[in-house]
Amino acid sequence: MHAQNGPPVAQPESRRSRRRSRRTFAAVASATAAALLVAACGATGGSGSGATDTAGQAYDANLTYWFWGESDIPGITKWMQGMATDYTKLHPKVHINLVPQSTSTLIGAFQTAAQSHSGPDVDTQWATLPTLTPYWDKQATPISDYVPSSETSQWLNTNENTTGGKVVAMPLYLIGVPLVWNKQLFREAGLNPNDPPTTWSQLLADCAALKAHGITPLGMGNKDGYFGAWMFAIFAKQELASLSNLESAIGNTGQFTQSQLDTVLTNLYTAEQELVQKGYINSDVSSLDLTQGWQLFPQKRAAMSLTTDGNAMSWAKTLGEDNIGVEAPPTWGNGALASTYDVTQSSDEFITAWSKNQAAAADFLAWLHQPANMSSLYQQTGAFPADKRFPVSSITDSMAKELYQLDTSKTSVWLENYLPPQVDNDADIPAGQMILSGSGSVSKAVALWNQVLKEWRTEQPGQFQQYKAWAANGS
Amino acid sequence: MAPEMPGGGSTVAARPPGLIRAARAKGWPYLFLLPAVVAIAGIFVYPLIEVVRYSFYAGSVGSLSYVGTANYVSLWQDPVFVQSLMDNLKLLATVPIMTVLALVIALIINSQIRGWRQYRSIVFLPYILPATAMGLTFGYLLERNGVLNTFLRDIGLGALAPDWLGSGSIVVATIGMVIVWQQLGFGIVVFAAALLGVPTELIEAAKMDGAGWWQVQRLILIPHIRRVIEFFVILEAITMLSAVFTYVYVLTQGGPGNASSVVEYYIFQNGFENGAIGVASAAAVVLLVLASVLIFFYLRLRLRSEGGAK
Amino acid sequence: MKRLFVTTGRHGLLILLSIVSLYPIWFIIQTALKTQNNYTMNPTGLPSPLTFSNFVNVFRDMPFAQWTVNSALVAVVSVGGVTVIAMFAAYAVAFGEFRGRGFFFNSNIALMALPPVALVVPLFLVMVQLNLVNTLTSVILVYAGLMVPFSVFFLVNFFRELPHELIEAATIDGASHLRILTRIVVPLSGATTVTLMIVNAIWVWNELLFALVFLQDNSRRTLMAGMALYQGRYSVNEPLIMAGAFLSIVPLVVFYFLGQRFFVRGLTAGIGK
Repeated sequence: MHAQNGPPVAQPESRRSRRRSRRTFAAVASATAAALLVAACGATGGSGSGATDTAGQAYDANLTYWFWGESDIPGITKWMQGMATDYTKLHPKVHINLVPQSTSTLIGAFQTAAQSHSGPDVDTQWATLPTLTPYWDKQATPISDYVPSSETSQWLNTNENTTGGKVVAMPLYLIGVPLVWNKQLFREAGLNPNDPPTTWSQLLADCAALKAHGITPLGMGNKDGYFGAWMFAIFAKQELASLSNLESAIGNTGQFTQSQLDTVLTNLYTAEQELVQKGYINSDVSSLDLTQGWQLFPQKRAAMSLTTDGNAMSWAKTLGEDNIGVEAPPTWGNGALASTYDVTQSSDEFITAWSKNQAAAADFLAWLHQPANMSSLYQQTGAFPADKRFPVSSITDSMAKELYQLDTSKTSVWLENYLPPQVDNDADIPAGQMILSGSGSVSKAVALWNQVLKEWRTEQPGQFQQYKAWAANGS
Repeated sequence: MAPEMPGGGSTVAARPPGLIRAARAKGWPYLFLLPAVVAIAGIFVYPLIEVVRYSFYAGSVGSLSYVGTANYVSLWQDPVFVQSLMDNLKLLATVPIMTVLALVIALIINSQIRGWRQYRSIVFLPYILPATAMGLTFGYLLERNGVLNTFLRDIGLGALAPDWLGSGSIVVATIGMVIVWQQLGFGIVVFAAALLGVPTELIEAAKMDGAGWWQVQRLILIPHIRRVIEFFVILEAITMLSAVFTYVYVLTQGGPGNASSVVEYYIFQNGFENGAIGVASAAAVVLLVLASVLIFFYLRLRLRSEGGAK
Repeated sequence: MKRLFVTTGRHGLLILLSIVSLYPIWFIIQTALKTQNNYTMNPTGLPSPLTFSNFVNVFRDMPFAQWTVNSALVAVVSVGGVTVIAMFAAYAVAFGEFRGRGFFFNSNIALMALPPVALVVPLFLVMVQLNLVNTLTSVILVYAGLMVPFSVFFLVNFFRELPHELIEAATIDGASHLRILTRIVVPLSGATTVTLMIVNAIWVWNELLFALVFLQDNSRRTLMAGMALYQGRYSVNEPLIMAGAFLSIVPLVVFYFLGQRFFVRGLTAGIGK
């Protein structure tokens, strides 16, 4: 296999021709050495147990892995780096170049690279549409092409990225999005610290009480737009009877019309606007990023926040487990989906269609799901592995147990996953920014959704057709 | 005709004889011009033709289909594009302010105030700094509870402490402020240099006629450097139209809610993050049309100041 | 009395302007020397404790050195290339007589003001077809091309100032134009060439749009593109970002204070009577 990583760097002609003969010799020599080495390794046993035993496979590759996850799970980049090092010990000819990605350019950077069919061998994208879309655009190779179903069936939540019978990408962890509240600040505002808001009207009442005592009720950051996107995922979903409603509106199949979707969005943004106008959200929400906004809660500058399991656990350590509570976000809508929780694999890993090392990449990814590796993920970062083999008994921390309980007790839907990335980027995020920064009316935000959906259908006809077909076959 | 032998050409002998002959032949300018012409053809002419061509197609790379003027129609129907255009025009409105400010400061510096060289050094420094690094810095300084607002609140001007980057209504003005911070020094230095060229006899004569300081500035100095002022205005106008991408990308990514999107950012987002190169090309063509108006004035100004091409 | 008022007022204004010009740089330095905690608690004050660890971490947490090398390489090669190209072309325009000379010169002036963003999509597709995406070559070629109009304009203006007798004498002596260019004109243009190269190098160093689009690989990115993309990931570590920003502006500030006149003269050459 040709060890290459993207297009070659152009070199001056004269040097290249001089080096060529030397390189050929070196290549032959090292290939021979590699074959001998791997034969020796194979004789002593391969990388471990399980269906992904690769003994005897001489993978020789430089893999570039554009990885994202730190925002969800602090510490996961370090874990992944350790995994890459361990894997290279088992497969000395495979080197993994980990390139952490930033949240706000995760989709854009990949899209730009995809246009020239060059870039990484493995990429992280958010679950469902952000992963299926590259597959539909022929930018991704389904991992099930390389990993047998005996193995993929052990992965959790693969329904979030399966299409046409193919598992496109591999989940690593599951995260939930609970509401956290500071019990001490609740006490200061005269609220019962063990009675968090479970309905929207309770939420408004609690916010009013907190504000009256000079405490910022909700502390978030929306400069990069993700808080607004979360509001859509958590609350707009609650007005829907089923996922097919959203899919029908996006796919324009008529069962759930645009104007019905408009009603849902109008209700959502009106409720959000109320929160802003009454001052229940921190005043600098629009000049802080999501991660910056998350600094407010552990610094006791806000009484509540919406965050990921990982942050909740780390905040429990900062504030003391007795001072922090976690619960499902309040019920707001009347649809059947209002009773679902918000757990998602959040992001998943897939192999790019142009990678010259697809088998090696698949082997590495599948190897990550070895029970020992999944356990180390939990031990090192507290993330809940997306693997059926992970023993629940390993979870001993009480906050973690509580969160795991929340995560697994009922069905989950993360609505944002079902938006095509262009719609998420161009409608969901800016619309939320409009409302939360007070720079646009509810009708303007809803009009933006209409505009962008129309644009997406005309600009991306291929994606549009695929979306319709995928939705019709039942996600 | 016997070719003249070049005298003592030891260093030139290394070059192939054909080139020497050519370099002395009548057509030598074309040879010298060739690399530049090739560069311009490749980097300017060919892409310009292509961008116009792509503006009539839709879809992404590899699956383009001809759609005529549909992209242009959808541009005008796209509120984000209209917003982007409006934002560029709003930025243009900062040019007169910047010009006046630069002029006033240049006049002061020109009055030989003590330490004027040092002042001039300091105010020019922002102009050479990378917009990326300064954009990141201002992003922190201008947070709602960031340094600037904390300072304003501390000195009792809290009412003047809005959400600079997070409020849709003032975010463009904020970006304009940051751009002015960088560009002002350029104007000051240019105007100050031009003012130095005003003949002292004119000034002396006016003073002897009893003109006060401000009258001298207004009636003698400013008119004398009128051409330089015009150049500056046009250059800055061109900048506001086509060289503000870095600030928007680093400070706000077009937000909140597309309120600070500019045409450059629109092209970048649609062309590269969405892969809709037809729409992006159409937007580029619109930008070119607008820019060509400014380029026309710039060209005319330059030609007039040189008395035409030599 | 009024004189004192006026003078104080003027100084006041200039001092205010100086503070506004310099404070952001001071903020960069001040923040870069703080720990993350220190910055969160006290963004405006002096560092306490004072730490240099951010400067170390900048090289450890991101491929900062690689980015800097990339930027430097791209700057040197593209600026070198365009200087040679522009030298030849400017010489022809200034000293040659040929059809289309006026047209060529005026075109350069017009192209100086053309928005580069209009060219980015087709140029990207060209690079894709040439398989040069993600290589430093792509940005080198594009930058060199984009700098041609200004460089030609700049050098023509200077060449026109050179004493014509010198050139004429050499022509009568039978020297080829190539020789005149290399043996006479180039040596005479030392300071001007340096100025041009500095101005161009600054532009390349600071450029973002093309670098973002053409260079995907983190190891191939230029300094500005790397920093711009990095800030999203570590938006909660302001001191680290500011340390990176500081390192990226240090070369510029140092060169500025060493050779101000080059900067000023070169950067203000687009205007001029």
